[in-house]
Amino acid sequence: MQRRIHILPDHVANQIAAGEVVERPASAIKELIENSLDALASEIEICVRNGGKTELRVADDGHGMGRDDALLAIDRHATSKIKSEKDLRSIQTLGFRGEALPSIAAVSRFELETAPSDGDTGTRIKINGGSVVSVDEIARRPGTTVTVRSLFFNVPARARFLRSAAAETRAVSETTIALALANPGTAFRLKSNERELLDLPRTADLAGRVAAIWGEELASQLLPIDYVADGVRVAGLVQRPADARPGSRRVYTFVNGRPFVDRFIVRAAEDGYRTTVPPGHRPALFLYLELAPEGVDVNVHPTKAEVRFRDKMKTEAVVGAAIRTGLEGLASAAPLGMPGLSSRQLVGPPTGRGPGVGAAAAVERAASQMALFVPGAEAPQQAPADESGVTPTDMTRSGAMWQLHASYILAETRSGLIIVDQHSAHERVLFESIMRSFEEGTAGSQRLLFPITLRLSPTEAQAVEELSGILRRIGFEVEAFGQNTVVIHAVPNPHPHFDAERCFREMVAELAYGSPLVESARNQHERVAKSFACKAAIKAGQPLSELEMSELFDRLFASSLPSHDVHGRPTILRLSLDELARRFGRS
Amino acid sequence: MKVTVTRENFQRGLSAVAATIPTRTTLPVLSNILVETVEDRLRVRGTDLDISVSVQTPAEVERQGAITVPAKKIADIAKELPDQPVQLQSEGGRVAVVCGKSRFRLNSLPSDEYPSFPEIPFEKGWKLRSGELQRLSAHTSFAVSSEETRPVLNGVLWQLRGDEMRMVATNGHRLAKMVVKVGGTASGEDDLIVPPKALQQVERLFDSEDELEIARSESHLGFRSERTEVYTRLIEGPYPNYEQVLPKDQDKECLADRAALTAAIRRVAIVASDQTHRVKLSFSAENLGLTVQTPDLGEAEDEMPVSYKGSPLEIGFNAQYLLDVLRYMGSEEVKITLSAPERPATFQPVGGEDDYVTLVMPLRLME
Repeated sequence: MQRRIHILPDHVANQIAAGEVVERPASAIKELIENSLDALASEIEICVRNGGKTELRVADDGHGMGRDDALLAIDRHATSKIKSEKDLRSIQTLGFRGEALPSIAAVSRFELETAPSDGDTGTRIKINGGSVVSVDEIARRPGTTVTVRSLFFNVPARARFLRSAAAETRAVSETTIALALANPGTAFRLKSNERELLDLPRTADLAGRVAAIWGEELASQLLPIDYVADGVRVAGLVQRPADARPGSRRVYTFVNGRPFVDRFIVRAAEDGYRTTVPPGHRPALFLYLELAPEGVDVNVHPTKAEVRFRDKMKTEAVVGAAIRTGLEGLASAAPLGMPGLSSRQLVGPPTGRGPGVGAAAAVERAASQMALFVPGAEAPQQAPADESGVTPTDMTRSGAMWQLHASYILAETRSGLIIVDQHSAHERVLFESIMRSFEEGTAGSQRLLFPITLRLSPTEAQAVEELSGILRRIGFEVEAFGQNTVVIHAVPNPHPHFDAERCFREMVAELAYGSPLVESARNQHERVAKSFACKAAIKAGQPLSELEMSELFDRLFASSLPSHDVHGRPTILRLSLDELARRFGRS
Repeated sequence: MKVTVTRENFQRGLSAVAATIPTRTTLPVLSNILVETVEDRLRVRGTDLDISVSVQTPAEVERQGAITVPAKKIADIAKELPDQPVQLQSEGGRVAVVCGKSRFRLNSLPSDEYPSFPEIPFEKGWKLRSGELQRLSAHTSFAVSSEETRPVLNGVLWQLRGDEMRMVATNGHRLAKMVVKVGGTASGEDDLIVPPKALQQVERLFDSEDELEIARSESHLGFRSERTEVYTRLIEGPYPNYEQVLPKDQDKECLADRAALTAAIRRVAIVASDQTHRVKLSFSAENLGLTVQTPDLGEAEDEMPVSYKGSPLEIGFNAQYLLDVLRYMGSEEVKITLSAPERPATFQPVGGEDDYVTLVMPLRLME
């Protein structure tokens, strides 16, 4: 009887595996760049033609391979990167499955040129659809060049699913950018049909790389963050809340130097922005997570786009906390003047690459990477020099505080001056004190000699009825009087110029009919707190005494997010002495 | 105009008026004062359009006339002049000031650009001694509202009745009311709502022994003595019905030493919240406890002996309001009456003939 089940020939098996690893030119390029990075390349050049469908090439100056290694490399599951099952649990290199080269070679006209850095002769291997066509000795500089032509020429089903050249080029470009962001110490060049798309020189820090990709403007809007808790380090750059815009955004996340996609991590980061960003605005994020290799499983998906954290909740919590901590400082306040480069000096390389050589270098590199992200040890003292060091104690309190147009407060700081929007500042202060009082029950409520009687619309009256418990907790004691009329017996007393009736009317209208502000709240308590903070805060145009101003400052800087009000608008503008000097032509 | 006055009289007139001159104004003539002759006297006038002050001083008038002078400059000059007669003379668009060997010429604006003063029919007014008015105002005007949406509460209610007058001020959270008997000649009853700034001028410019004539027009109120006049815009009513909110059924009463109570409140208030200034008072027989709890700062406790009648009561207040009402009490002992944690407390001086009561609404203590 004829056997129904049989072992697939190698070339068929490789084609199937290729389908998992290589689905489009961008994924081939990702595998090849990762190989280059694992080979400690300092420069990587990527060229595509016709979106990579006709030809793609990745050339590096890494440590290359000798003839025997090169031949082995194109065998399935041949890898220098792990040796045993045990190593799988502590993967420190980007690739490890030993699938990439054979898979790509199985579905293309493939050419591998390599020469080791120890000066041995070079090797060129040509493979057509998985069959070795030739192996030649060649002369070339150390490093490896892989050229892939006619991708999927022997898998027409897959070839049909490729998209337009422009779309494939975009995907290649995105892949390159993600890897370039993870490795600022490596130079990247991307060409498409001989046109240069990216030219990213080696740079000492992440901000330099962001500037090279998107320009100085974005780079200047980013704040460094660096936070460690529970064995997870979250470093990188996040956009200043005031600069966040709706719509398209730049979000790149990396774990142990590896790009990955995880919408829960992104959501945790956005939650970290809490009330500082207007609803719908999406800040740019460049987040680098570092945790022990055992803490994250990257072996989930052949293309490694997804990873699995051993403790997902904890990791998300640390990411949120990292963002919040990063936004606490005055540095997150909107700067005045030209996009400064100052924030760039504050960040070290997120994933610095030590100049390691040899086989152990990859492991060494990962170790030195960890050192960067582990507190103490050899971590370079990135003492936030001038700017982010601005704290309330930096106020020169020589009475140097002025009210401008009865709306803004100008104050001197050691490193320059700040302008505070009195309404926004008070809004932030009130919001936090109300939220705290929900927990502690400390809001005061002043009984009125002359209760306020208000006629409301039916919708408003209903809102008041539904929210009366929360309203009472912020200090409004409201009694329904029938026919949509309410009597207010007691009111909060947030400042001496407080107009309780107007505040109540505006707040109730907002809560009854909605507004972007209250829609952005996460629960009823926050809805009411946001609306109250906005309506009750000191208005622009209200003259303030010296004492009131300094009290407002004290309370603003005692709040957890002093630089932003509940709409996400900035409360503080900074003007540094450097910027002043520059403006006056003194620098 | 050509007129000579003593330096002392000139300076006194200028400093009396100077306080009404607005420091910044969009109407340039308001930063000037009006200097004019009235028969054999020199009259100096200043205004910020809400309050106007006018002072007369004896003078040798050679030529009648009127002119405006920059207020700040002429006051500074008068201060530095030698102690000799000062001659003022208008010269076209300028005014010449001559005193001994010193001569000044200052640019001026035409006197007809100066705002006219309200016409007040003083013949139909009241007469009273300045000291009585000043005492009323000193005890009540602190309680006016600083919040600008209910203008009546920014003013002091002054009720003139046959043989007494009352003054009331409140910001809706606390209230002060004082009544004095008047022996003056009163012509009719009236309710006036007066800006406290005007009452401050009355306290500053009139001697307590001065006999004042007081009268009103539709929108203005005038105070005048022989030499000095103060005019103010009146705030339009109606004033809330304060009689209705004065408690009549207080069943708890406490007698406390005013100075000791003030000192204790000041002490514990140091750790009170900047926002609410909340202090909790615990009344029980023989003892008054004061507690402040501010979650992000800390706590304070104090106590003092008192004599208290009624069931024990805990009630919260804005410490600032308590200190305000105690400050003007003027007696050694103060009587506090209460009924419930959400009902007002009254504070009254013990002894003395003043009919004076203040009232403070509580701050709710959160459960």
